[in-house]
Amino acid sequence: MLVADDEPPIRLLCEVNLSLAGMEVLQASDGEEALAAARSQAPDIILLDLMMPRVDGWTVAQKLAEDERTSGIPFLFLTARATPADRRRAEALGALGYILKPFDPVRLAPVVAEVVARCRLGETDAIRRERPATLWPADLDDG
Amino acid sequence: MAAAQPGRQKERGTTGNFSSLRRSSTALGWAAAVIGPAIISSLDLLANRPSPRIIGFLLLLAVALAANLGGFWPGLFATLLATVTLDFFYTPPRHDIVPGTGDEFAGVALFFVVAVLISQLFVRRRAVQRESEAATARANRLQRVTARLAEAMTPQAVLDAVVTEGVEAAEARAGAIGLLAADGETVEIVAARGYDSDAFSGWETFPLSSETPMAEAIRDRESFFFDTTAERDARFPSMAGIQGPSHGLAILPLLVEGRAIGGIAFTFRTEVEFDDHRRALKATLAQQAAQALERVRLYQAERALRERMTFLADASELLGSSLDYEATLTQLARLAVPGMATWCAIDIVVPDGSVRRLAVAHEDPARVAWAERLGEEYPPDPDAPMGVHNVLRTQTAEFVPEIPQELLEQAARGDERLLRIVRELGLRSAITVPLVARGRALGAVTLIRDDTAPRYTELDLDLASELARRAAAAIDNATLYREAERRGNASRALAHVDDGVVLLDEEGAVVSINPAAARILSVDESAVVGEDPAATIPSWAAIEQNARPDPGRTRGPVALPLLAEGGGEQWISVSGVAFGDGIVYALRDVTEERLLERDRSDFVATASHELRTPLAAVLGAVKTIRRTDVTIDPEQREALMEMIDREAERLSGIVGQILLAGQLDSGRLHLAVEQFDPVALTRSVVDSAELHLPADIDLRILVPGDVPPVAGDANQLRQVLTNLVDNAVKYSPQGGEVELRLARNGQFARIEVSDNGLGIPGDEHERIFEKFYRLDPGLTRGVNGTGLGLYISKELVERMSGRISVRSELGRGSTFVVEVPLAV
Repeated sequence: MLVADDEPPIRLLCEVNLSLAGMEVLQASDGEEALAAARSQAPDIILLDLMMPRVDGWTVAQKLAEDERTSGIPFLFLTARATPADRRRAEALGALGYILKPFDPVRLAPVVAEVVARCRLGETDAIRRERPATLWPADLDDG
Repeated sequence: MAAAQPGRQKERGTTGNFSSLRRSSTALGWAAAVIGPAIISSLDLLANRPSPRIIGFLLLLAVALAANLGGFWPGLFATLLATVTLDFFYTPPRHDIVPGTGDEFAGVALFFVVAVLISQLFVRRRAVQRESEAATARANRLQRVTARLAEAMTPQAVLDAVVTEGVEAAEARAGAIGLLAADGETVEIVAARGYDSDAFSGWETFPLSSETPMAEAIRDRESFFFDTTAERDARFPSMAGIQGPSHGLAILPLLVEGRAIGGIAFTFRTEVEFDDHRRALKATLAQQAAQALERVRLYQAERALRERMTFLADASELLGSSLDYEATLTQLARLAVPGMATWCAIDIVVPDGSVRRLAVAHEDPARVAWAERLGEEYPPDPDAPMGVHNVLRTQTAEFVPEIPQELLEQAARGDERLLRIVRELGLRSAITVPLVARGRALGAVTLIRDDTAPRYTELDLDLASELARRAAAAIDNATLYREAERRGNASRALAHVDDGVVLLDEEGAVVSINPAAARILSVDESAVVGEDPAATIPSWAAIEQNARPDPGRTRGPVALPLLAEGGGEQWISVSGVAFGDGIVYALRDVTEERLLERDRSDFVATASHELRTPLAAVLGAVKTIRRTDVTIDPEQREALMEMIDREAERLSGIVGQILLAGQLDSGRLHLAVEQFDPVALTRSVVDSAELHLPADIDLRILVPGDVPPVAGDANQLRQVLTNLVDNAVKYSPQGGEVELRLARNGQFARIEVSDNGLGIPGDEHERIFEKFYRLDPGLTRGVNGTGLGLYISKELVERMSGRISVRSELGRGSTFVVEVPLAV
């Protein structure tokens, strides 16, 4: 899996917990790195921050979809932007989930593992339809 | 007519005196006829008897006296008696009825002839005298009638004069006058005298078309003279049932200029032979009565007209005297009583559509109070088929010349007490007129007369209608004036409010625009009024599109961005209200509110984002460290611990900034004023920064000359410099040099912080010091921040009476310049 975030603490937390869950964790500190890694390494899933230097998360998601090598890779947003408009935009871009910071990296690990497992079974669209609460938290800011 | 009832009343007055005088005169005649010759015959007993010539002369004297006093029969009797006396006592042979000689017989016969002639002469003289006396009496009576008629000023006085004097003058037993009513169809007995009190029971009024002598007399303008009851019954068989001794009856029309206004009837005690004299007398009486009645009618009409005109003039003056129409109408009601009405009530329609009794007037104030209480106790039924509500509904006057009992019963609505009260009031005649102005019923005036006053006529209705028209116009004027005044006040008020108001007429042209609206829309009032706003107001299209209401509706308020003068941002809140005569738009400049609102929402978004990231790190690290299901590598554990430390510090810094900004906003932050060395302070800031400086940043400090101590808050200046250094490092993502230079600049110490990082475009130089302002994310390359650092720096420096500014170019780094006043 790939975690793309310009904040080292977030990358560290993901690495520690997801590795412990048996996943191989790739890291990218901005959008360009993320796109490069996605194309070259073909991860099973991408955790994507929105506010990143150079290329932001929105653009990354768009470009992933445009490229046939990466269009099949499921992705979740992991962000501090907590407005309903952002979440609607994420949904429109085909994200599997929209996880708000702060988040519990310990619980995130099995959730991501399950998503990966189901995607391998070809249930990507089913997850999109189900919109499980674990991937779409409700506590958004009103602003 | 029941004019032929037997007269049981005694005849009184001069007519009676005449006949008794006449009777006594006749008795005296007889006395003279008997006593005269008797006395003369007794002269025979005297020793010295008078000569026969003297006796003859005396006897002729007695005959003349008897004839003169007693008329024909006493005269004749006296003549015979005198002839016998002369023959018996004074013609030889005396005491023998047969004359002695032919000469003597001739003498007696001559005497007889002379006596007869003298008797006839005096009888005739007496008759002539009688006739002359009667004529004089008739003339006197007629004159009296005329005199009384001339004095009469009211119809009643005329009638009294005609029936009292007239009956006498006509030598009748009783008389009556009937007048044609206003409807022209009914005859009404208005005066009668000499009849039994119940003689006209059921005959007070009767139709003109009826088969009665008076109706016919009026109808055909023809007089009837019936010498006897039989004659009357032959002509009018319907009257045959009326019993009583046969008597004469005269019925004549009362004619004015050939028009019959009524009829007059005279009933006589006995049968009468209506000779020409008598007929002429009756005709004269009728004519006099008719003229007098007409004169009085004209006089009354003229006086009534004058009274009406006076009333109308007074009322008009009153109505024009004040704009307080409620007070005016109350006075108007008082003006109407008692001349125009016994009761006058004025009701008005109040703004909510209900009807309020404004005034009740009556001569007696106690009655007014009583009526007002009654009105409250028994409010009028809005659905009643007659009355004020109906008049207001139909805007048509109600005219009830004679209030029928049924109407009172209907008005009482089955309430016995109310019905009794209403009956006791004796209400006779009523007019209710609406007060209508410009098609709207504003109220109603009700005039009521009781049975002490005459019935209302069409003339009164006309007067009331005219009065109502004027009163309504006065109310309307007062209302319009008040409205105009109110509008005047409103427009004065509008000139001073901060909210903009634009009024459009039905065609969509600007009727008025207040100064606030002109200011908000950046237009000149004079250039806009009377014009199509779309052509004269630049932002009008947007306003119309977003706030133009449908007819009768309200739309908005809605906030709109306008193109402000000078290209700045301007927001207005606009709402439109459509009313009868056009549309009114209310505008408010909400730019301030809008900016504040955006600040708030920016703050929430920024603070939320800025707090979430370090919080996520701290929270995630703690949860990871506390995991018991797996063992965490000690190296990773240490990295997490360090992360908690660093991110908690960052969190604390952000919270500190937010609190500081809040304190600055509310003015709660108090800065110390102390003297300190700016160079030492700057060095300590650089030293602290060195501790966690990225490897690719080269931080230097340059102090080319002496810098004297400054006055201010050392801690806060440290905060400012730390923030500027942090920014310089943050916005140099590719690394580079960060240089601090200190120098004296006049009365200030100048500290410059330069980097060769991303730089700031020229048009952003002002705005970066605004609260929450952040450069376009594309320019910041993902550099985070609360947007408070520079705002806080600027506020702090300015509160130390210093200045802060920036020199920068995109891609070529930035130099922030802080100047702090030197200590004196």
